Amino acid sequence: MSVLSADARRDLEIHSYPVLVYALAPLAALVLQAWLPRLLGHFAWFDLPLIVTVYFALGRRSPIQGTVMGCVLGLFEDALTHHAIGINGVAKTVVGYLAASVGIRIDVENHTIRLMLIFLLSLLSSGLYIFVNRFLLGLAIEPDWFAQLGTAVVNSLIAVLVFPFFDRLQIRD
Amino acid sequence: MESFFVRYRNPLVLLALLLAQIVGLALQVHRSDSGRMSLDPRDSGGVRLIRLWADALVSPPERFIHNSSTGLVWIWQNYTDLRHVRSQNQDLQMTVDRLRLEQAALLEDARQGQRLQAMLGFREKYLYTTVPAQIIGSSGSEQSHVLVIDKGEDVKLQHDMAVITADGIVGKVRDVFPRSAQILLINDQSSGAGVILESTRIRGILRGNAIGQPQIVGIMADSRIQPGERVLTAGGDAIFPRGLPVGVVDKVIRDPEQDGFIRVIVKPAAHLDQLDEVLVITSTEPRFSPEQAGDIATSETLKGAEAVQDKEQKKASEIMAERLPGLIDPNLPADQQPLNDTSNPNPVAHTPMPLHPDRFTPGATEGSGEPLPGTETQPPAATAPKKPVAPAGAGTTKPATKPAGDAAPRRNQ
Repeated sequence: MSVLSADARRDLEIHSYPVLVYALAPLAALVLQAWLPRLLGHFAWFDLPLIVTVYFALGRRSPIQGTVMGCVLGLFEDALTHHAIGINGVAKTVVGYLAASVGIRIDVENHTIRLMLIFLLSLLSSGLYIFVNRFLLGLAIEPDWFAQLGTAVVNSLIAVLVFPFFDRLQIRD
Repeated sequence: MESFFVRYRNPLVLLALLLAQIVGLALQVHRSDSGRMSLDPRDSGGVRLIRLWADALVSPPERFIHNSSTGLVWIWQNYTDLRHVRSQNQDLQMTVDRLRLEQAALLEDARQGQRLQAMLGFREKYLYTTVPAQIIGSSGSEQSHVLVIDKGEDVKLQHDMAVITADGIVGKVRDVFPRSAQILLINDQSSGAGVILESTRIRGILRGNAIGQPQIVGIMADSRIQPGERVLTAGGDAIFPRGLPVGVVDKVIRDPEQDGFIRVIVKPAAHLDQLDEVLVITSTEPRFSPEQAGDIATSETLKGAEAVQDKEQKKASEIMAERLPGLIDPNLPADQQPLNDTSNPNPVAHTPMPLHPDRFTPGATEGSGEPLPGTETQPPAATAPKKPVAPAGAGTTKPATKPAGDAAPRRNQ
C-alpha cells in the first residue's frame, strides 16, 4: 500500500462517469440486493449498496459525495427492511466518508488494496450496524458474527469482479 | 469563520448527516412496558414516506424481473454461454437456445401450474377468505427476514394479516403499499406468534433467532418435548387462526439468558427460503362450500321448526293454566297466588285464645244445649247420649291442640 505525497495526491485522477451510471448503478444495487436473496436463501452474504458506495467514494475522491451516497443508499436499504430507518444509513455514511478519505491518500487502483479495503469497510459497516442497534437504540438483536465475516469476504470477491466493470464505464479524456 | 466551514466542510457534512439520522432513529424507538427498547410497529408519516419511495423505486424493477420467466440470472448465464458457443456455430446455437428458452419457459409454466393447482385445492377447502400473492422481492438483509409480495392496497390487504401456504404459516403483513406489501417472516427476530405443541399442549411464543431459525421461547424446561413433535398455531395472537401447522420440533436447547428455561428450535413446515406463492388471509369469517352452506341452511330450518313447536306448547300450557280453578286468584298479587305457594300443603290452624273466656267461647259450651251463634242447629240433646268431653260443634271450632282438661275450670266459673 503506497501512501502518496501532497503533490501526488493532486495528480490523482478523479474519475467521472455518465449521469446514467450514477443513477442506475445504485438502483441496480438496491434491486439486486432485494431480489437475489430470494434465489440464494441464507447464503445471500453480500452487500451490493456498500460495494457501490465504496467504489464511487474511491473513484470520485470526494468525502462529501461519498458521505451523501452512503447515506442515501443506506437509508433506502433500511426502507426495504422492517427496521428503523437510519441504521444502515449511519453505517454507510461513515463508510462512504472513510472510503473517500482513504482514496485521497492511497492509490486504490490496485486490486489487492481494493479487496482489503472492501473487506475492512464491510466489517466496519457490520460493526456499526450492530453498534447502532444494540448500544445506540438498545434493541435486543443477536448478531451472527460468522455471517458478518462471510459477508465481508464475499463483498471483497464481488468488488474484485465488479470494480473493473465499473472502470470501463468511466469517461476518459 | 468562513474559512472554518470551508476547511472542515467534509467532517461537518459527515457530522450533520450522522446527527440527522441519529435524531431520526431516536424518534422511531420507544421504551416498552417491560422497560426494553423496541421499534414502533406503526411507522410515522415521514418514515412511511421513505418506505413508500423505496418501494416505488425498487418494486417495479423487481416486478419486471419476476414477471419475465427467465430472470436476470438466467439471462446472464445464457448470455455468457451464448457468447462462447456463437463463435463455433452461431446459427445452430441460436436454434438450440430458442428451444431451450421455450422448454425452460414451458417447464417453469408447468411447475407453476402444479404449484398453483395445489394452492387452489388448499384454498378451496380452507374455511377463511384468502388472497393469493406472488413473492417478488426481499429486504436484502440478513438481519431482516422480510419478503415483498405483488399485492397491496389494490386488493385491500391490511397490516397484521396472516400469510400462509398449504404447508404452514409464513408470517404476517407488516406494511402495505399501493401495489405491494411487506411480509415479516416467522423466523425474524422481531416476529412473534402464539404456538402450541400438539401432544404436550405446551404454549409458547415463536420468533426467529440470530441465524434465522424459528424458535419457541419463554417455556420452562420440560422433558416431554421431543424432536418431531408437531407445532401448531395457538390462535391467541389475533393474527393466525388456531390450529394451522407451524412446523416440527427440531431440537431443544437451554436458554442462555434465563435459567430453567429452554428454547425449542422449530423446523418450519413452510419452505421459507423457497417461497413463490403465498396466501394472505383477508378475513377470518368462515367461507363454506355450497354443500356446507346447504347443510347449514337445513340445520337452521330444522331449528326454526323446533322453535315454533316449543312456542305452541308453551302457549297451550298457559291457556290450560288460566282455565284451572283455584290455582289463580285474580284478586291476589302474583307472589301470593296459591299456585306459587310452596309451603306445607296441610297447614295446622291455630285459633287465638280469648283473654276472658265465657260461655260463648268455643269449647266452653259443653252441655248447654244451646247452639252457638252461626252454627247449625243440633239435634235435641235429650235424644242423644251426652258425651263427657266433646263439646257441641267441636268438629268445626275447637282448636285441635287444646287439651280437653283445660275446659273444666272454665265450666266452674
